[in-house]
Amino acid sequence: MLAVRVLGTAAILFILSIVVFSMLHLAPGDLVKTLLGTRPASPEAVAAIREQYHLDDPLPVQYLRWLGGVLSGDLGQSIRLQTSVADAIGSRLGLTLALCGLAFAMALVVGIPLGVQSAVRAGGVIDRTGTALGVIGLSAPTFAVGLLLLYVFAYYLPIFPVYGGGRGPLDTLYHLVLPAVTLAAGLGAIVLKLTRTAMLRELDADYVTSARARGIPESRTRRLALRNAAIPIVTGASLLLTFLVGGTVLAETTYALPGLGTLLQDSVLFKDLAVVQALTLLVALVIAVIALLADVAYLVLDPRVRAQGGAA
Amino acid sequence: MTGIEVAIDGIAGPAGPMVEALAFAIEPGASLALIGESGSGKTLTAKSLVGLLPPGFGARGVLRVDGREHPLVSTDASWRRVRGREVSLLLQDPFTSLSPVHRCGPQIAWTLEAKAGRRLSKRELDEAVATRLAEVNLPARVARAYPHELSGGMRQRVAIAAAIASDPRLLIADEPTTALDASNQAEILDLLRELQHERGMAMLLISHDLGLVRGRTDEVLVMRHGEVVERGSTATVLSAPEHAYTRALIAADPALALEADHTGDTARGLGHDDGADAGGRAPLVAASGVVKRFGLRTVLDGVDLSIAPGQIAGVVGESGSGKSTLARCIAGLEREDDGTIAFDGRPLAPGRRSRTPEQMQIVFQDPYSSLNPMMSIGAILREALAVGGRRPDEVRALLELVGLPVDAAVKRPAQLSGGQRQRVAIARALAPRPRLLICDESVSALDVQVQAQILDLLGRLRDELDIAILFISHDLAVVRRIADTVTVVWQGRVVEHGTCAQVLDDPAEDYTRLLVAAAHRDSTGRTPVG
Amino acid sequence: MTASLGAVGVGFRSGRRMPASIVVCLVLLAVVLLAVLFGPLLFPDATKQDILSSLMPAGSPGHPLGTDELGRDILALTVAGAASALVGPVCVAVGSMLLGILLGTLAGYERGPLDFAISRWTDLLLALPVLLAAIVVSGVFGGGYWTTVALLVLLFSPSDIRIVRAGVLEQSARPYIEAAQMLSLSRWRVMFRHILPNVSSLVITNAMLNVAFALVAFSSLSFLGVGVPPGTADWGRQLTDSRAIMFDNPAAVIVPALLIIVVACAVNLVGDWLGQRMTRSGGLA
Repeated sequence: MLAVRVLGTAAILFILSIVVFSMLHLAPGDLVKTLLGTRPASPEAVAAIREQYHLDDPLPVQYLRWLGGVLSGDLGQSIRLQTSVADAIGSRLGLTLALCGLAFAMALVVGIPLGVQSAVRAGGVIDRTGTALGVIGLSAPTFAVGLLLLYVFAYYLPIFPVYGGGRGPLDTLYHLVLPAVTLAAGLGAIVLKLTRTAMLRELDADYVTSARARGIPESRTRRLALRNAAIPIVTGASLLLTFLVGGTVLAETTYALPGLGTLLQDSVLFKDLAVVQALTLLVALVIAVIALLADVAYLVLDPRVRAQGGAA
Repeated sequence: MTGIEVAIDGIAGPAGPMVEALAFAIEPGASLALIGESGSGKTLTAKSLVGLLPPGFGARGVLRVDGREHPLVSTDASWRRVRGREVSLLLQDPFTSLSPVHRCGPQIAWTLEAKAGRRLSKRELDEAVATRLAEVNLPARVARAYPHELSGGMRQRVAIAAAIASDPRLLIADEPTTALDASNQAEILDLLRELQHERGMAMLLISHDLGLVRGRTDEVLVMRHGEVVERGSTATVLSAPEHAYTRALIAADPALALEADHTGDTARGLGHDDGADAGGRAPLVAASGVVKRFGLRTVLDGVDLSIAPGQIAGVVGESGSGKSTLARCIAGLEREDDGTIAFDGRPLAPGRRSRTPEQMQIVFQDPYSSLNPMMSIGAILREALAVGGRRPDEVRALLELVGLPVDAAVKRPAQLSGGQRQRVAIARALAPRPRLLICDESVSALDVQVQAQILDLLGRLRDELDIAILFISHDLAVVRRIADTVTVVWQGRVVEHGTCAQVLDDPAEDYTRLLVAAAHRDSTGRTPVG
Repeated sequence: MTASLGAVGVGFRSGRRMPASIVVCLVLLAVVLLAVLFGPLLFPDATKQDILSSLMPAGSPGHPLGTDELGRDILALTVAGAASALVGPVCVAVGSMLLGILLGTLAGYERGPLDFAISRWTDLLLALPVLLAAIVVSGVFGGGYWTTVALLVLLFSPSDIRIVRAGVLEQSARPYIEAAQMLSLSRWRVMFRHILPNVSSLVITNAMLNVAFALVAFSSLSFLGVGVPPGTADWGRQLTDSRAIMFDNPAAVIVPALLIIVVACAVNLVGDWLGQRMTRSGGLA
C-alpha cells in the first residue's frame, strides 16, 4: 500500500515539475527580457542569456537539463537578489521553519486540550467559547488577524516588537511570538475542530460506554478515546499543511519578516521566476513528504490498516 | 438483604416520558429477562442503572445492591462507586464495544486496575488477565490479539471477561447475542449462565427475542411503550401468557412457532406443501451452474435453481453462503461469471440490460434505505407505475393491495414505520406487474410482529396475483412459514433441495440437520440430542 | 430507539427556531448585500483621490472614518469595497459547485476510466495549497479580478467534486438506487432525479463554506498585491495601502480588517447552520 503511495507521490511531483518548468515559458512577456531582469538588452547580453539557458534547444531537452540542475541542487540565479536561488532560500529557510514550528506547537498545545474538553463537555461554556474562537480562527484571514494584533500590541500593549526578524536566536524567537500567534489562530482552529469532531465521535462509541460502565476512571476513558481519535486527527493533518503554506506568506508579509513567504511574494511581484519555480517545487516536495508521513503514521496508529497492509 | 432491588420512578427524555414506573428484584445468581421491541424503553432502563443515559435523558428512582442504596439521580463521582463494582454492562455489538486500536489484554486489565484502585505490576496483570480469559474459555494468547483479529464470538467473550473483571454484583447484558450468528448465540448465553452461577452474580438480560430466554432466565418482564405489561417466572409467562401483547409476541415469534410445530399442535405454514404444482408447470426461472467470483473468492460455485410460476421458492443459508448473490444474479444486479439463467424458457445475458421490469422485481432487506428519502410515497409509486405503462391514479389501488392507507401517498418515507416502508417497497415492486418477486431477506430487519404481517401479505399476494416469489432468508422458521420449496445453500453450493416439509422436517444432509438443530436450540435453550 | 427518535424530524420547514446568532449573521449579511447593491449610488466616486484632505483621522467633518494617504474617504471606500469582497466569492462558490455537480456525478455514477481521470485530476489539484497556487499563477501570469475568479473556481472545484462523488457513490450503493435500476430507469433520471436531490444538502452547505473561504482567498490575494489592480475599492487592497498609516488613522485598517473577519465568520456560521439543519431534516438519513 505504501509503495503505491510513494509511486503516486513521485508521479505528482513529476507532473508538477513539468508545470513549474513550463511556468517560465508560459509567463506573459518576452522570455529573454524576463531573464535579463534589470540588465540592458544589448545583443551580447541577449546572446549570453540564450546561451546560458540553452533557449535554442528543443523544449524537452531544456526540461531535462533544468531537471538535472534542480536534482543536483542548481536552482538557477535570482535576478532580483543577484545571488543563487539556493543561497536566497537557504538564508531565509531558518526563519520560516522557526515561525511554522512555533505556530504549530502553539496550535497543538491549545487546540488539542481545548478540543478534548469541548467534546467532553459538549454544549458547555468551554465548548461554546471554543466553537466561537474556532469559527473566528477558521474564517478570519491571517493578515486581518495579524494587523489587528499588530495594532493592539504596538499601540496599547507594546510588549512585543511589531516588525522585523530580530538578531540572534533569542531575539528572533521574541520577534516571532506575535507572527506565530497570528498563524496559530488559524491552525489552532483547525486542530480544535478536528479534535473536537473526532473526540465527540469516539466518546459516543460503544467501547467508551462499555469502559465507563465497568468502572474505568474517566481520565483513562478519555485517553482511550483520544488514542482512537488520533487516527482521524492525524489524517486531517494535510489540512493544516495547506493552511500553513498560505498562512506563512501572509503572516510574514504582515509582520515584514524576511522569510520564505516574503521571498515568494516579492519574487512573484518582481517576476523573479527562478525563485518562484524553486519555492513552488520546495512546497510541493514538503507537502508530498508530509502526506507520506501521515500515511505512515496512519499505519502505526491503526492496527486494522496495519493488518491489511501486511496481507497485501 | 442481599440481591438487587430496582425501583425506577420514571425515565424522561427530550420528547417527554419514555419509561413509566417499574420495580423489580433479582436474587444473587438469579436472572431476569427484560423483553421488549425496539422503542419499548428496555435499553434506557438498562443504561439508567449505570448512570449512562444519553444526554437529555434523566431517570428518577433507586438501585439497591445488597442493601446499599444508590439513587439514580446522582453525580459522576458517586456513579463511579456503582459502575464496575456493583453493576457492569455488556453491550450488544462486540465489534464496537472493544477499542479497535488496543489489544484485548489491556482492555481487561483496565477493569482490574479500576477495581483495585491502583496500578498493578505487569506480572500481576498478565496473570490476572490470563485467569479471566480462561474463565470465558479463551486461551491466554488472546490477550495479545487486537479485537479485529478475533471472530465475533471470541470478541464477545473478551467483552464479557472485561465486563465482569470487576466482579460486579449485577451484570446487565443488553442484547448480548443479537450481533452473533446462531451457533455462537447459544454458547454465549450458556457461558453467561455458567459465570453467573459460579459467582452468585445477578443478571438482567435484555432482549427483543422472547424465544431466546426460554430456559435461560428465571423470570421475565415484558415491556411495551415504556410500560411493563407482564411479569412472572419464565416458564409461566411462556406457557400461559396473560397479556394480549405477550400472546402476540409468542404467536409472531417464528422460533417459538417452529418449536410449537414440532410438538405438533399449531400453525401450518402458508406454503402449499403439495410439491406437485412445482412439477406440473414449466419453470419460470431456471438457473443452472451459476458461478460468481468476487476477486479470488468464489461466492457461487455452480448453483442450480428453478422456480415454477406461482411458486414460493425459499433459499436458506447462513450469511456469506452466497444466497443473496444468487438472488442478485437472477435480478441482473450482479453479473454471473458462468452458467445460464433462463426466464420463461429464454436465456438472459448477465446484467440488467437483458431484463425488463415486467419480468422481475426485488424487495430488499432494509426498509430504511430502499426508498428514496427525498420522494413522496406517491411519487415513488407513480414512477414505478409509469414503467409498467400503468396510469398514475392506480396508486390508490396499489396502496390498498399492500394494506396501506390511501393518505400514505402524500407522506415521505421518514414518516412511515419500518413495516409500512416495506409495504411501500413491495407495492413499488408490484407496480410493473412482474411475474417474479425476489425477496432478499425482506423481513429480517423487521420486528417479529411486523414480520408476521409482511409474510401474510406476501402469501396473500401470491394467491391473488399468481406471482412467483423467490424468498431468500437466513431464518428457517420464516422460510417454513411461507415457502413451498426450500433450497439450502452452503459455501456457494446447493446442499439440499426439496419441499418445505421434506427438507426441514426430515433433512437428508448433515449441514441441513445442523441448521435445523441450531434454529431449534435457539428457541429451547437446550441442544437436541442427535 | 435512536431510529425511532431520528425519524421524527421531517422536511426542512418543520425545523427548530433560528438561533439568535444566525439572525445576527443574516442581518449583517443583508447589510453587506445592501452595500453591494446601493454602494455605487451612495458613493459614486469612492475611489477619487484628493491629496488636500489626506490622512484625516476618524471623526473629521465630512469623513466620519477619516481618509487615507491618498485622501480617499474610508467610509466610501469601505462601502464600495463590499462588491469586490462578495461578488467574486459568490461566483467562485457557485462556479465550483456547478463544476463539482457535473464532474462529481459523472465520476461517482459512471465509475470506470472517467472516474479514474476525474479523481486523479482532483487529487492533483487538492495537493496544491489554494492560496499559494493562486499567488503564483495570478502573480506570474497576471490577469484581473475575473481571471482570479476563474482560477479560484478551478482550485476550489476539487472539494466539490469529491463531496459530490463521495455522496453519489454512497447513495448509489443504497438499495433505493438498485430499486430504480430494477425499474430500468435511464441513467440520467437515476442521476439527477434520484441521487442528486439526496446529495444536495452536502453540496449547498459546501458552497456556503466555499463563499467564506473564497472571501478569505480573494482578500488575501489583494492584500499581497495580486488579483485586483491598485486603486480598486477592495478591503484587502485597503489593508495593504493603509498599513503604513495605521497610527495616523487606525480606522483605515481596523474597519476593513474587522469587516473581512466578521463577514467571513457570518457566512461560515450560516453555512454550518444550514448544513446541520438540512442533514437533520432527513435528506441524508
